[in-house]
Amino acid sequence: MPELFPLSPVHYVAAPLLAAFLLPLVAKLSRSFIKILPGLTFLYVLYVSAVLFPHALQSPIIEQIAGWAPPLGINLYYGPMAGLFASLFSALGFIVWLYSLTQMKQEPLDRFYILLMMLVAGATGIVLTGDIFNLFVFMEITAISAFSLTAFLREDDKAEAGFKYILIGSLASTFVLLGIAVLYSYTGTLNLADLALSMEKVPLSVRVIVFGLFLVGFGIEAEIFPLNGWAPDAYSAAPAPVSALFAGITVKAALYALARVTILLFPFAGSMALISILGLVTLVISELAALHQKNLFRMLAYSSMGQVGLAIAALGLFTAEGVYAALFAMINHAIVKGMLFLAVFAMAGGSANLDNLNGMGRKKPVLSFMFTLGAFAIIGLPPFSGFWSKLSVLTAMGQTGNYIMIAIVLATTIVEATYYLRATGRLYLSEGSPVESKTPLSAIAAVAVLAAGILWIGFFPGSIDEILTAGAQDLLDTAKYTEGVLKD
Amino acid sequence: MKKLLATFLLGFIGFYLYTAFAGVPFGESKMKVGKDYLETTVPKTGAVNTVTSIVVNYRGFDTLGEVTVLFLAATGLGAILFGMKGKPEDKHREPSSILTTGAKALFPIIVLLGAYIFIHGHLTPGGGFQGGTIIATGVLMLILGIKKFHANHALLSIMESLAGITFVVAGILGLAFGKTFLENILPLGTPGQVFSAGVIPIIYVAVGFKVGAELAGVLDTMMSTTRGEE
Repeated sequence: MPELFPLSPVHYVAAPLLAAFLLPLVAKLSRSFIKILPGLTFLYVLYVSAVLFPHALQSPIIEQIAGWAPPLGINLYYGPMAGLFASLFSALGFIVWLYSLTQMKQEPLDRFYILLMMLVAGATGIVLTGDIFNLFVFMEITAISAFSLTAFLREDDKAEAGFKYILIGSLASTFVLLGIAVLYSYTGTLNLADLALSMEKVPLSVRVIVFGLFLVGFGIEAEIFPLNGWAPDAYSAAPAPVSALFAGITVKAALYALARVTILLFPFAGSMALISILGLVTLVISELAALHQKNLFRMLAYSSMGQVGLAIAALGLFTAEGVYAALFAMINHAIVKGMLFLAVFAMAGGSANLDNLNGMGRKKPVLSFMFTLGAFAIIGLPPFSGFWSKLSVLTAMGQTGNYIMIAIVLATTIVEATYYLRATGRLYLSEGSPVESKTPLSAIAAVAVLAAGILWIGFFPGSIDEILTAGAQDLLDTAKYTEGVLKD
Repeated sequence: MKKLLATFLLGFIGFYLYTAFAGVPFGESKMKVGKDYLETTVPKTGAVNTVTSIVVNYRGFDTLGEVTVLFLAATGLGAILFGMKGKPEDKHREPSSILTTGAKALFPIIVLLGAYIFIHGHLTPGGGFQGGTIIATGVLMLILGIKKFHANHALLSIMESLAGITFVVAGILGLAFGKTFLENILPLGTPGQVFSAGVIPIIYVAVGFKVGAELAGVLDTMMSTTRGEE
């Protein structure tokens, strides 16, 4: 290529890192850079996505780092799955940046934007890397940004939530690291593809133990019951733009890690069934808990865990349709839940008691309309994106003959409909306080972009069909993965 | 009951972890990539210290990540403690004159030792992380030894940023020269010399500066918060 910098997947990580290190310097020149630089960075990674993703759909881009071929060095694997998530994360990062411009006022803003960029870059690194220790490093980057952002508002209960998250999150890291240590000591390699081929060196009993370690470790970050006790506190403590990213990005990255590692290294039937059951349990318990919440952010947090549970249940089916449905559910959830968090915060502010929504339908008609749209999409009403994602989950379950699962999903949908319609009802049917406040246009625009995404997928579900099919294939076809990485 | 359950759970995890680690073939030459590293380090990276060549070259991407983790920890701490003040009545004892004089006298020597360790990271044990930490302990000694001592935060933050930028730019230069991210673009030189091993010493010196500045900054932030100073 004649360009000075041929684009490659490493730009997803290198550009935000450079920006994060530059930010303290340029902040000394002019404080306006603090807001401009992260936006430019997100735009740049979106540009990288626009150029690279179409290629990845044809054939995966495998990039070596520091010139060492795997397994000696670290490689990035940018296939349809990684491309899909990296693009989604970059887009969500940009939207949250746009929203934070006016809605995030708490100092120190320079540190806020550094942590925000690193949260997105870390999660992107998780989906890009082809090396299990490198995956751990990116998990740490994501987690430490998330801890700090949870306690960012510096009030007592927020500090408590942050501390809880640190304790449980460190446990997650320790479990994953122990698992990696065991694998390395048996196989002598850290490359995922190479590991997949060397797994027969590990005795079966040890494989089961390591799977348990990874399940707990990634399960904590992916909010799987009973490992998700930190999540409602963290979601309601963090600034709302950050909660949107927790739901949209960190959970998805952890879920990706769990799926990739399980399918590559532990493809026994039991592991998949266990994940599926855990997903269903998470779904049921979270939805029931959401029903009783008075705090809107906690309600959204529990609903978020329920949605993730749905995706996990579909993932555990281990069929092309199941993974397809899981991906669809994850994307739908990232867009819709992100939008709901942003819309609620713009309407009701930080202390979001359900009552704060009263009468918003008249005061903030645009945001209320978009909240309603998001609520309908989560429940799965046609013609919104959630309808198609839920339909694909149910179809996948039907194809494997799991009619009990279908019944459970439908039952939880009724629960979901109850509390979301109750919240929506408050917007239009209750009288609210007559306090007037204007929402800045950039914040509304950020929410509107996500709302447009919901409608687009709702009306043209075929437009992402090809991407999802390729992503599911990418995840399931382990032979193609290992051959691609270790071809030379 | 709760304690009993916790003990049981701990025993459960402990037993299975023991089972997993007990079967590890110890001391055998099974270490696949480890063997390759030992054989290729000197001819291919020019570094005499294999550990450094792994940390900075073979797995340099991980190290960039670890440096970022430390940077984020410092950033997060600064964000959470922002504007927070401790109680002004400071019941700490005044440092004795021995401590004050000793701290001032030892500080340059500690900095020299730290710098020696990270400059020779590719030759002798240690490197950027170790050297940087040693320098930060020197700063800790100054904080303890001198009343109302303050590290220059602006300077530390500039050092931190420049060192981080150096690391990333060293990576990007690899791409710019048509190679891969973080790949060496400098001549390897004669193994064993200070100016050898290509880009490794440059990155490790940057890491040394970064770690030293970050840890010193963290110590100073925590100290001013508990002392109730600005």
